[in-house]
Amino acid sequence: MSERPIIEISDLTKFYKGNDEPAINQISLNIYRNEIFGLLGPNGAGKTTTISILCGLFLPTQGEVSIDGMELRVNLDKIKQIIGVVPQDLALYPTLTALENLTFFGNMYGLRGKELHDRIFDYLNVFGLEKAARKKISGYSGGMKRRVNLIAGLLHRPKILFLDEPTVGIDVQSRMVILEYLKEINKTGTTIIYTSHYMEEAENLCSRVAIIDHGKIISIGNPLELLSEHPEFKNLETIFIHLTGKGLRD
Amino acid sequence: MLFKYVSAFKKEWLILIRDISGLILLFLMPMVMVIILALVQEFGWNSMSTEPQVPVLYVDLDHDSLGVQMEKGFNSSRIFNLVSSIDDVPLTQEKARQLVFDGKYQIAVIIPEHTTERIRKKIQLMVAKTLSSLTMPAQNFLNDIKNADSIQVTLYFDPEVRNSFKNAFLSSMKENNSRIESKMIFSSFSNELRKQFPQFELPDAVYSKSLTFSEVYPSGEEHELIPTSTQHNVPSWTIFAMFFIVIPLTSSIIKEREDGSMTRLLTMPVSYLNIFMAKIGVYLIVCFVQFILMVLAGMFLLPLFGIAALDPGRQYFLLGVMAIASSLAALGYGIMVGTLAKTHQQAAAFGSVSVVILAALGGLWVPTYLMPPIMKHVATFSPLNWAHAGFLDVFLRGSDFMAVSHELIKLFIFFLCTVAIAITYRKITPPFGA
Repeated sequence: MSERPIIEISDLTKFYKGNDEPAINQISLNIYRNEIFGLLGPNGAGKTTTISILCGLFLPTQGEVSIDGMELRVNLDKIKQIIGVVPQDLALYPTLTALENLTFFGNMYGLRGKELHDRIFDYLNVFGLEKAARKKISGYSGGMKRRVNLIAGLLHRPKILFLDEPTVGIDVQSRMVILEYLKEINKTGTTIIYTSHYMEEAENLCSRVAIIDHGKIISIGNPLELLSEHPEFKNLETIFIHLTGKGLRD
Repeated sequence: MLFKYVSAFKKEWLILIRDISGLILLFLMPMVMVIILALVQEFGWNSMSTEPQVPVLYVDLDHDSLGVQMEKGFNSSRIFNLVSSIDDVPLTQEKARQLVFDGKYQIAVIIPEHTTERIRKKIQLMVAKTLSSLTMPAQNFLNDIKNADSIQVTLYFDPEVRNSFKNAFLSSMKENNSRIESKMIFSSFSNELRKQFPQFELPDAVYSKSLTFSEVYPSGEEHELIPTSTQHNVPSWTIFAMFFIVIPLTSSIIKEREDGSMTRLLTMPVSYLNIFMAKIGVYLIVCFVQFILMVLAGMFLLPLFGIAALDPGRQYFLLGVMAIASSLAALGYGIMVGTLAKTHQQAAAFGSVSVVILAALGGLWVPTYLMPPIMKHVATFSPLNWAHAGFLDVFLRGSDFMAVSHELIKLFIFFLCTVAIAITYRKITPPFGA
């Protein structure tokens, strides 16, 4: 872990219209280069709100964010060039083929021609989709769609990759391929910010996790550190339930 | 910027052309709408039809010249088809009243007994009075005789009959009556003069119309553009259909938002304007092709149904510019509605109903010159009114570029304003309602 944070979050607060309670409340956090940082929390805890602000989808009500040394409010266009986003939704066009989808998203990052074409097929090979490249997305299985969804966020080789529940609802094989690849690109310098409900997955993948609830960070650290802080619990999931409670969330 | 625009355009184009059934509907439905609405309007008013259309129950209890002449007059108008018997049974007043009451017929005319005789007597008295005042002014005892009361012809109307149609029927009725009464007066005068002046041999005068009317339609074109109902209807319904592009366009925007693609795009280094403009580019082509198809339908398909063909005039370039300006206004409106609406239901309901309202306000159904002053003023704010006025200028007046420049500018400003509203709203409101 290098010393300088690639993402600096200070006093971040967001109120949604018509809500008296903040979705996130004075969050301060540093994420360092080459980290795989897990944002964990029950539904409505504030994970997606935090990631949405970091991706520039909307501005915080209060607080500052700096990404790779650039202030988010003033350098959004430059920041968009160095981040990749893999949303929870399968944000793909079902009537287009995987190749057409990926070509379009690559073009939006300014990639074109042979370079883009080669890059697309490299990724399709990695994720076992090269034979289905010219098949419409509507004909893909859930796991195949998830893999294309991930490739769309990787094409421009971002410095920082935001993943919002990238493995939800897919088979074990697809999940394994995705997680292995994330580890691999992290080794080559990509910082990953990741949200998930799968605690075991987060425990194995993340170098650090923050457990967030009711818009506040209630615990942060390396999964092993958290386990040593709570020796009465055997894994991250039990710590998570202990910290966030057993009550159902909307 | 241009490279990203071309890529987004290609993406929109592929999505559009891969939905074959949607594409067919997109082009076919407006043509069907233009043809059906033009046919309904054409035959509804029966302005060109050669066959009588509206059956009218006719009970002639007079059995004299007025009843016969009235029947001839109606039949020659080619608008009304007089029915005086059903299943070979002559109609009675009570039967006619019942049939109208049941809604089986819309109008019944009852000519009372001795109508002709009573009119004749009334006219004879009037003529005698007039002539006696000339020949025996001192002892005009006829002045003391009162005129007979008016004779009442009973008309039964189905409550479903619209006022405009009722007025058209009454006008026709009054016109027939005036002609018959004039003939009777003329004939009565001739007869009375023969009696008064038997020493003169008066020839049988034949009355012919003194006034004939020459219809001239000033046009900016060398050849005269005849304002048939097709020339009115096709531009109106074409604009109406073009504005319905709001529905597929809003659907495309909301779908992209709901499936998360828009969220992904907003995290990429590409502007919302770029994404919108790509949609506008593709749907502009759709609108333009729709316009060409609807004009071609007016030129070649409507004549197959016995309706006058659309004459597009010679201003093809100006027609194209008007079509593009109208399409841009429709697309800007669609982009705005699609951005502001939160769900497909909101967009579909608001989009379609607002287009119908703007069309009604814009004079597409009832001409603005027939509207009350306040509605005329409101109409000037409808983009469909600007498009309609521009197209009518080209289709009916053969106007040049300068004549429609006001409409073109207003349509273009409307397009810019609606796109600006959409972009501003999207900037301050994220696509998932934060």
